[in-house]
Amino acid sequence: MKKNYTRTKPPEIDRRKFLTSLGWTGVGLSTLIASIGNLLYLKPAIDYGPPTLLRVGKPEDFKEGIKEIFETERVAVIRDKKGFAAISLTCTHLGCTIRTSEMGFECPCHGSQFDNDGFVTGGPAPKTLDWYQVAIAPNGELEIDKSIKITPGTYFKV
Amino acid sequence: MREIDTKQVFTKDANKTYGLMELVKGTKPTVGLQPDDMVFTWPHLLIRELVLFVVVTAFLLVSAFFFDAPLEEIANPNHPPNPAKAPWYFLGLQELVSYSAFIGGVLVPTFIVVILMLVPFIDRKKIGIGKWFAKERSFANGIFLTFLIIMLILIIVGTYFRGPNWEFVIPWETGGLH
Amino acid sequence: MKIKDELINLNQQKQKGWFKQFWSNLYRSIFRYGKIPQDAEGQSYAVFNNLFLHIHPVKVSRHSLKFSYTFGLGIIAAILFLILTFTGVWLMFYYFPSATEAYNRMLDLRSSVDFGFVLRNVHKWAAEAMVVVVILHMARVFFTGGYKPPREFNWMIGVVLLLLTLGLSFTGYLLPWDQLAFWAITVGTSIAGYAPIIGEPLRKFLLGGDTVGQEALIRFYVLHVVILPGLMVIFMAIHFWRIRKDGGLSHPSENEPTKKGNSR
Ligand code: HEM
Ligand code: FES
Repeated sequence: MKKNYTRTKPPEIDRRKFLTSLGWTGVGLSTLIASIGNLLYLKPAIDYGPPTLLRVGKPEDFKEGIKEIFETERVAVIRDKKGFAAISLTCTHLGCTIRTSEMGFECPCHGSQFDNDGFVTGGPAPKTLDWYQVAIAPNGELEIDKSIKITPGTYFKV
Repeated sequence: MREIDTKQVFTKDANKTYGLMELVKGTKPTVGLQPDDMVFTWPHLLIRELVLFVVVTAFLLVSAFFFDAPLEEIANPNHPPNPAKAPWYFLGLQELVSYSAFIGGVLVPTFIVVILMLVPFIDRKKIGIGKWFAKERSFANGIFLTFLIIMLILIIVGTYFRGPNWEFVIPWETGGLH
Repeated sequence: MKIKDELINLNQQKQKGWFKQFWSNLYRSIFRYGKIPQDAEGQSYAVFNNLFLHIHPVKVSRHSLKFSYTFGLGIIAAILFLILTFTGVWLMFYYFPSATEAYNRMLDLRSSVDFGFVLRNVHKWAAEAMVVVVILHMARVFFTGGYKPPREFNWMIGVVLLLLTLGLSFTGYLLPWDQLAFWAITVGTSIAGYAPIIGEPLRKFLLGGDTVGQEALIRFYVLHVVILPGLMVIFMAIHFWRIRKDGGLSHPSENEPTKKGNSR
């Protein structure tokens, strides 16, 4: 009596291969999860910087056509016929603090120029200055939220 | 005669005066080719390292006594200096950034690092090794030299020829060397 | 000296006074093979029985010792790193990574602390020199064809070392918290911010916020004194080890013969 066992591959090895790759998958996945955890830990979660909400005074305090500069907060508040705007004073080129000029704003670092609405008129800056959201706080003061950026050119009507 | 276990690759022999140190792949032992070229690390290399150490330390100490490391006023986020410059080794990139932020800030640095990593896989021919500016390699050397010179020029321009508003200045005319 | 003789020597020491014998035993327990080695055996043992010397091979080729071949640039880079570690740790005794304190500490180092200015100046100039020297070392490796097989991997390790050197220099730049530091880092991190997709997150990650401030200072500090130097040590160890495993420095004898004959 002869039995013919024909196996192309010994099954033990297949199982071993399977378990090995399963093991490696486990190691890989746990490494991945651990790295994601570590990265999340390092991601700045709490903003320890200056507060993003700031109240700048009653709307009546602002004169039309004058750029009110809040230096430490790096924001300019503008009153226009169209309403109020809060424009960031951080240069979109490489992050210097910009200052007002006759034409609007200019950056001392590498000479970028912006018009009164923060649109680039010259220099290396690649994009328009940030516009922050303006609202009226319950006490009637203007409130600027630096964490919310809005489309440049949208004035806030009181 | 003692029997030798043929299954063992390295037989144990009481009279053996050598041991297996390491296995090296290759067609020839590096020491074998020119035995006369090899000298002992102790003292030939060590004495050179010691001398270099003394020279470097002395040089730094002397410079430290004569030249103070710069220290400007305390950081003030409201008043950027004009112009504001990155550390000198990034000034080449900053120079490029003032033309195009994307090219200078992203494309060029990524390109440089990737190409540097790939250099030994692009140029693999074993010619001109062990000799400065070997004639056989003048093409590769030429490219690399050009690259170094361009970076150097950009850094020099960024460091000395850029004044207020990032405008081009001639340092010896404005006395603006800093 | 053969080991057998060595043992006989030890036995004979019984006749010495107790202190001399103790001293000799102590010395032998540390340095097993005599004083300054004079013969080939001693010179070999001196290298491979010493942890610090063991990063060297026992023998090196004359060609690689020629100053005009390497200009000692790799060694100088390593020496500068040692000096930077030493002076850096010393500076840490006075430095304080706080946006309100850091600058004052720099002033104190300059005016009040004895030799404070020396440590700060040496640290600063060594750091600048290291960037230059590492770039020059890379140039010398390129111009002498030192990256060709089998040294491809060591060249890549070298590129990592270059990036680490730049990273150490850049993170250190912020620590004095003066105008130069603040704006150089503002500008430098903004350049990174231009990378597509990862740029802005990377910038926030480095700064720990939107702008350079206290959070950025503490992050740069940790990178500068722990993480980057740690990585540097690891990669330098691989770099040196690979030099040995690749058969020492590149050598003209590795050239393949060309049609015109061996280009040695
Ligand atoms: C912290 C930085 C570095 C240190 C401390 C260092 C140290 C060394 C040392 C001591 C040597 C022995 C030969 C010599 O002194 O020239 C060497 C060789 C070598 N280095 Fe570096 N190095 C550094 C960075 C780099 C960089 C940036 C590269 C290239 C991108 C590089 C690639 C190489 C290669 C390929 C060799 C072997 C060269 C040959 O065999 O001719 N290293 N390195
Ligand atoms: S940072 Fe404003 S122009 Fe460069």
